[in-house]
Amino acid sequence: MRNRVIATGAATLVMALGLSACGGDGDGGGGDDAKGGKTIKVVAADYGTSAADASKPFWDKVAKDFEAANKGYKVEVQVINWTDIDKTVKTMIASGNVPDILQTGGYADKVADDLLYKVDDVMSPKTSANLSKGFAEAGKVKGTAYGMPWVASTRTFFYNKKAFATAGITKVPTTWAEVADAAKKLKEKKAAEIPYALPLGPEETQGETLMWEMGNGGGYKDDAGKYTINSPQNVETFKWLQDNLVKPGLTYPNPASTDRKTAFADFAAGKVGMMNGHPSVIKMAEEGKVEFGMAKIPGKTAPLESTLGVGDWTMAFQDGKAGKDAVKKFLDFTYTKDNLVKFASMYNFMPVTTDASEAMQADPKNAKLKDFFAALPTAKFYPVNDTSWDVVSAEIKKTGGKAASDDPKTVLDDLQKKAEEAAKAVK
Amino acid sequence: MSLKAPPSPAETGGGRGGRAPRPVSRRSGLARLGPLPWIAPVILLILFVVVWPVVELVRTSFLNISISGKNRGSAGTDKYKKLFEETDLGAVLIWTVIWTVVVVALTMLISLALAQLFNQKFPGRTITRWALIAPWAASVLMTAIGFKWMLNQTAGVLNTLMMDLGFIDGPQDWLGKSSTAWPWMMAVAIFVSLPFTTYTLLAGLQTIPGEVYEASRIDGAGTWQTYRHITLPMLRPAFLIGVVINLINVFNSFPIIWAMTQGGPGYDTSTSMVFMYKLKETDIGESAAMSVVNFALVVVLVLIFLKVSRWNEED
Amino acid sequence: MATAAAARPKTTGPSVKPPKRTFRPRTLVIAVVAWGLAALFLAPYLEMIITALRPKSELRDRTYLPSSFEWSNFIEVWKQSELGQNLQVTLLVAGGATLLVLLVALPAAYYTARMKFRGRKIFLLLVLVTQMFQPTALLIGLYREFYQLGMLNSVWTLIITNAAFNLAFAVWILTAYIGSIPAELEEAAMVDGTSRFGAMIKVTLPLALPGVVTALIFTFITTWNEFAMGLTLTTDPASQPLTVGINNFIGAYTVQWNYLFAASVVAIVPVIILFAFIERHVVSGLTAGSVK
Repeated sequence: MRNRVIATGAATLVMALGLSACGGDGDGGGGDDAKGGKTIKVVAADYGTSAADASKPFWDKVAKDFEAANKGYKVEVQVINWTDIDKTVKTMIASGNVPDILQTGGYADKVADDLLYKVDDVMSPKTSANLSKGFAEAGKVKGTAYGMPWVASTRTFFYNKKAFATAGITKVPTTWAEVADAAKKLKEKKAAEIPYALPLGPEETQGETLMWEMGNGGGYKDDAGKYTINSPQNVETFKWLQDNLVKPGLTYPNPASTDRKTAFADFAAGKVGMMNGHPSVIKMAEEGKVEFGMAKIPGKTAPLESTLGVGDWTMAFQDGKAGKDAVKKFLDFTYTKDNLVKFASMYNFMPVTTDASEAMQADPKNAKLKDFFAALPTAKFYPVNDTSWDVVSAEIKKTGGKAASDDPKTVLDDLQKKAEEAAKAVK
Repeated sequence: MSLKAPPSPAETGGGRGGRAPRPVSRRSGLARLGPLPWIAPVILLILFVVVWPVVELVRTSFLNISISGKNRGSAGTDKYKKLFEETDLGAVLIWTVIWTVVVVALTMLISLALAQLFNQKFPGRTITRWALIAPWAASVLMTAIGFKWMLNQTAGVLNTLMMDLGFIDGPQDWLGKSSTAWPWMMAVAIFVSLPFTTYTLLAGLQTIPGEVYEASRIDGAGTWQTYRHITLPMLRPAFLIGVVINLINVFNSFPIIWAMTQGGPGYDTSTSMVFMYKLKETDIGESAAMSVVNFALVVVLVLIFLKVSRWNEED
Repeated sequence: MATAAAARPKTTGPSVKPPKRTFRPRTLVIAVVAWGLAALFLAPYLEMIITALRPKSELRDRTYLPSSFEWSNFIEVWKQSELGQNLQVTLLVAGGATLLVLLVALPAAYYTARMKFRGRKIFLLLVLVTQMFQPTALLIGLYREFYQLGMLNSVWTLIITNAAFNLAFAVWILTAYIGSIPAELEEAAMVDGTSRFGAMIKVTLPLALPGVVTALIFTFITTWNEFAMGLTLTTDPASQPLTVGINNFIGAYTVQWNYLFAASVVAIVPVIILFAFIERHVVSGLTAGSVK
């Protein structure tokens, strides 16, 4: 028996040694290239969940094509799961392991630390002129462009047609009162387990919150650029949500702990009557064979004329190991019509360059995205170009959802205080 | 090994090492170097992998690090001040203590019963013991995600089960609010702590010589009396090991809460470990300060326990 | 296993005989309770397997069983990810860390158990303190350190870090175990001219096997299931351990629950197989007395 134990140990050893031959090799992040090197390190977010829709093959292909077209250059691609990318990048920066190019959700916090190249330094005028105007504007901090838009999406109102029919709802809601009314009917007729899905969990609180607040003339900032998180309109919005959706049990019992993923999945499974959704819902709902309709997001008295738009960004780091010229070459190479259409199509995003956007809208395959494209020019965004926004957004994600269960004023006051502190800290 | 069942590790506490450490008597060759060749690798590995990052951690807690991760210079004790001014910190600390005490206490109690049960002879004992191993063999993270899935309001099978059993009228959002999330997370924490603890206690039970029971039976002691006066006292060393390891692990436990509620809504279901992790999203320095405080707390907790249990009384 | 133990030549360990255990109905009750508990312990994992086999369209049905089992999910999951590669990394890391822990902890535990030396207490304290630090709290420091050393994405890094965080338990348990083995046996060998190291290997090690096996299993399982360091110290999918690979089924807009659980089940299997080999020895070592 003793021998057997030893044999097992030996087997493990052999396995270990045998496998080490093909094990991963050191990354060598120690930084052997001097500044001005020709190795470009690209870090990008993964928007997919499996090999079928992973973002890595896209970047790998771009890298390979670039290397083939530009002898002597090398591109190292690192694609990180969406849920982990912000934390990972933060760790990388804190350790001095800065990428050359990063594609993720926000950029302004890095401007505050003077980490980024100006867009003009790393993108040729021809490429940057092609960027959609509204987004190019949102990429500017105090008049200077740092963020390069990568993809965009708008939000729209989704409803389950079958559930609406069962509940006898004939008119698609355009106002809050109609939403509450429809939700009541859906519940009474048991047409949908969750009449309205209100995901205010840590994943995307800031999005759902803003869509509701905009319906009441509220938002995160006033025209002067001051945070107004606890404005009377915002407090009133949450009071309304509590009284009309949460307390009557017309949404998830605890919106503050419900993530967007759950809401989307439930909609695609036919369990949700209506919700505000992202273009990716289209594909999910089709796969789930749910008949759905789309409409403008209802506001307090009238539907939102400009919906929420969300852009993801690309940025280039000054402290990267590659030279400015190499970065510029790569960005110009990447921001082509074909690449952007290809990437956006994978996830039903909208491209943010003029020619790619036109090409995608011209393609009949994308007819379903029509509403989303139409909403893009007038869409409103988070204050992404405020260098304090990333802190504020993180705080809202953590506790903002509680405004739908606790006293809204207290929750929003606390966030306002944190936002003002953050604004002060970056000045 | 089959010829002699050596006393289990439980018999001698780790802290006090060998039963009869003897002074170094003969000095020759390697022995002249003393303990170094024997223990240096352990010390080096600990210095290299544990102590180095710990030093970094302490240093970080005095730095002003921006949300992007950039070091903006010294922060003095500001981060500690900021930490102690967090409105949620008090509740988080109280819940950390409740969480640790409840999970460890129930784990120990249930493990005692399980160890007793699985020490009996009955058909299929091996297979049932195997089943006991499952929560240990599976990753804690996966088990926690599994429970989150089963408890989901719209998709979770546990809701169906409890409805069929008549416990609830309709599906519940168990993990959505702290009043129901805490008990469930504690249950999962106990669930994953049971295998190791039960095995430690089983090992302890094996070290109790049969003659002792024999004698006790002759004296006419009942089952419960035997258990209280013989089994329990002799189980003490194994029991103590179980408590200390669990105290440290449960206090530091992160994946269960993170996977099931992310400490939310807000910070309502956060222990100090989860709180630390959430702080990292906005302020790395403050998060490091929380880690330092956290470490101090676990040291205090373990020391208090060792003191109370008079761990070293036989030393 | 009862038969296996009974078939063994002789078991001269202390015979533990709980009183009155031949009483039949009592055995029955015990068996029923134990089997019930075993089922309870397995239930969550059974549900994971059921979820893994659900067709995508029935994932969010609150039913006990799907209308049909989609066995192809288990094949798909291999195609949809780098599971094979991840499994290899995990195997390598868990095996390597386990070996390293034994190589490093055994001599230290042996010496600490056998000798009184200056700093012995401090040494044991240092070890205990290591146990109190969780990698989760040290991720940034760890990343920084291994970045500076140019060792990110390396299997060796994961082996070393996992070994270091598991040393404490191994040293503890081995010190205790070896301490309980009479030193006279080795002294006899040493009188015959064997060195202390030789005595340790030839005399003590075999006797301490159950302790060694326990430390081995503990390290192996902990490393096998480690997540936080794997996530932080590796970024290239090909060098990520299994737990991190599985995590990638959680995406920006959806979670592939069926694949997630299919992969999780795959991840549990090798550990169970290891148990099939080793746990038997632990159990027989633990129960040698009672199953006569």
